[in-house]
Amino acid sequence: MAGTAQQGARRRRFAPYGLLSPGVIWLILFFLVPLGYLLRASLSTRPNRFVPNDLSFSWHWSTYSDAISQFSGQFQRSFEYAGITTLLCIAIGFPLAYVIAFRGGKYKSLLLGLVVIPFFTTFLIRTIAWKTILADTGVVVSVLRTIGVLGENGRLLATPAGVIGGLTYNFLPFMILPIYVSLEKIDPDLVAAAKDLYASPGRAFRKVVLPLALPGVIAGSLLTFIPACGDFVNAVFLGSPRTTMIGNVVQNQFLVQLDYPTAAALGFILMVIITVAVLLYARILGTEDLTG
Amino acid sequence: MSARRRNRASGSMPSGVTRREFITRGGATLGGLALAPALLSSGRAFASVGADGPGGKVNVLNWPLYIDKKSKKDFSKSTGVALKYNEGINDNNEFFAKYQEELSQGKSIGFDVVTPTSWMAARLIDLGYVQKLPLGDIPNSANLAPVFQNPAWDPTGEYSLPWQTGITGIAYNIKVTKRELTSVDDLFDKKFKGKIGVLSEMRDTMGLMALSEGVDPSTIDFAQAKGAFKKLEKASNGGQIRRFTGNDYQDDLVAGNFAACVSWSGDVAQLTVENEDLRFVIPDEGGMKWADTMLWATPSNNGPQVAAWMNYFYDPVNAARLANDIGYISPVAGIEDEIAKLDSAAVDNPLLFPPADVQARLHAFGQLSAKDEEKFDNRFAEIAGA
Repeated sequence: MAGTAQQGARRRRFAPYGLLSPGVIWLILFFLVPLGYLLRASLSTRPNRFVPNDLSFSWHWSTYSDAISQFSGQFQRSFEYAGITTLLCIAIGFPLAYVIAFRGGKYKSLLLGLVVIPFFTTFLIRTIAWKTILADTGVVVSVLRTIGVLGENGRLLATPAGVIGGLTYNFLPFMILPIYVSLEKIDPDLVAAAKDLYASPGRAFRKVVLPLALPGVIAGSLLTFIPACGDFVNAVFLGSPRTTMIGNVVQNQFLVQLDYPTAAALGFILMVIITVAVLLYARILGTEDLTG
Repeated sequence: MSARRRNRASGSMPSGVTRREFITRGGATLGGLALAPALLSSGRAFASVGADGPGGKVNVLNWPLYIDKKSKKDFSKSTGVALKYNEGINDNNEFFAKYQEELSQGKSIGFDVVTPTSWMAARLIDLGYVQKLPLGDIPNSANLAPVFQNPAWDPTGEYSLPWQTGITGIAYNIKVTKRELTSVDDLFDKKFKGKIGVLSEMRDTMGLMALSEGVDPSTIDFAQAKGAFKKLEKASNGGQIRRFTGNDYQDDLVAGNFAACVSWSGDVAQLTVENEDLRFVIPDEGGMKWADTMLWATPSNNGPQVAAWMNYFYDPVNAARLANDIGYISPVAGIEDEIAKLDSAAVDNPLLFPPADVQARLHAFGQLSAKDEEKFDNRFAEIAGA
């Protein structure tokens, strides 16, 4: 009798770990182990350039310093483009999510569906389609030239604006949906109560809606900023040699130069910078929701 | 209204197909379906159609838009060898990165014949990733044009047979340039700022750059290429160059995003048929010539089928049809008469049959030492922004 009670207690003590184990095993197998391989590759040298898998591990730290000094321009550009993209996504996505959540009425599902519908076409096709839309001889560019937004020989493709525009377009839904979710949860009575207490609509928005929507904005920012940093497709199709991002460098090092150590080191550097940036961001905005 | 009436008139059949046609076609499809497993499972089914071929199947990996439709069908019919043809090569370096691991371990990559460019062929031969061709079973290999016998990339000529060869020059869209182009330096005309494309294939682009600097690409080394790289770098940093492209330069050229770009002769020959504004020129400084080569990948043991494939395309009739259709230069000697039968004007096309004075202006990119090749690749990538 006492034995079973003990067993039960033990079971209770280990049950949480048991329940966690699928997730933990998954993390170890598909995150930590590959990460270890990546770290090892980044600290190796390759004796034969054309046999890239034949790496010899040698604590070769200078791969890191070389990668940073050689590609600092692309790193900087990636964060710049991803940062602007995130801000643009907030600027466009917040009002959209707001309208859908508070003014959508019976069209709510339809409007949300419209946000998601572009996903039914592959990302690649949509990006290439922008090449046709924004072509130098296309309608958009000629209209912008006529009204003087673009100069006589101005263009959108192969410019930073083209790449950032593509990134913004492709990641916008990742901003709208989390913001929508947090706005949707807000009880409209709270806003009404603020107004009853003589808050102006602007003040009610600032003091009630905005703080409650912040977790959505933060989640959306992370979902936009992190993949945008590592993106290379938009820069390939909508950019020029002067708008390449770190993703393009990684792709080139892996698939053209076959320099696995450098590519792995670049991946690590990007990961570290993003982690630090995200922690700082979360810290400044003070979100217990995300950082515990 | 009339459309609807027409539909009703033909009952439930799709418009334009009579009931009898529908039944015959359906029957043919069903028959095809019934036959398909037999064809797939054993090449013998094909052997009964072809004369006395080896049967079996050959897996071929090649570049896009690099074969005519008739050859694909006719090959199996006349040799009895089933064909699986894949257009998966987009770029030599990407091709190498994709298959290097299996090849280095002696594992099958799923293809018997691969068709990279000659410099990549040299690397694969060097690394032991390909086998000696069964030349004894390829009697038509005697038709190989003399210039391609024992080439620099395969000095003994035992490992490779060229598939097609071509010219790297400059393509331009006259609607955008508003003038004819004649020289590599035209690529650096300030009027075309941001409207110039260059190929991401280092040898094609750097070959032209070297020629414009007065350096011979066939004997170039890294020290000699300094000026050429500087020229390209200045143009890239200054915004002259819009993109480094693979085969997709065609889209930008047709759309008018490119005024001009470094390009391959056959592509432009095909494009000009549909778009009169496009031109191709071998620049005054000279053009580059290259060859894509057929290799027998390890550890494929389909020797007889591989031989059948290569032998078929070294038959002058088939070689003529292929070259005429895709617009490149055939490595098979003596096909002029056969091409003339297909298209009397083709024989005078300098892009298909470069006359001696044109030949004299074409250069092949030299074999680089391993050290130099790495330096070339790194410097080129740096300029391309990655």
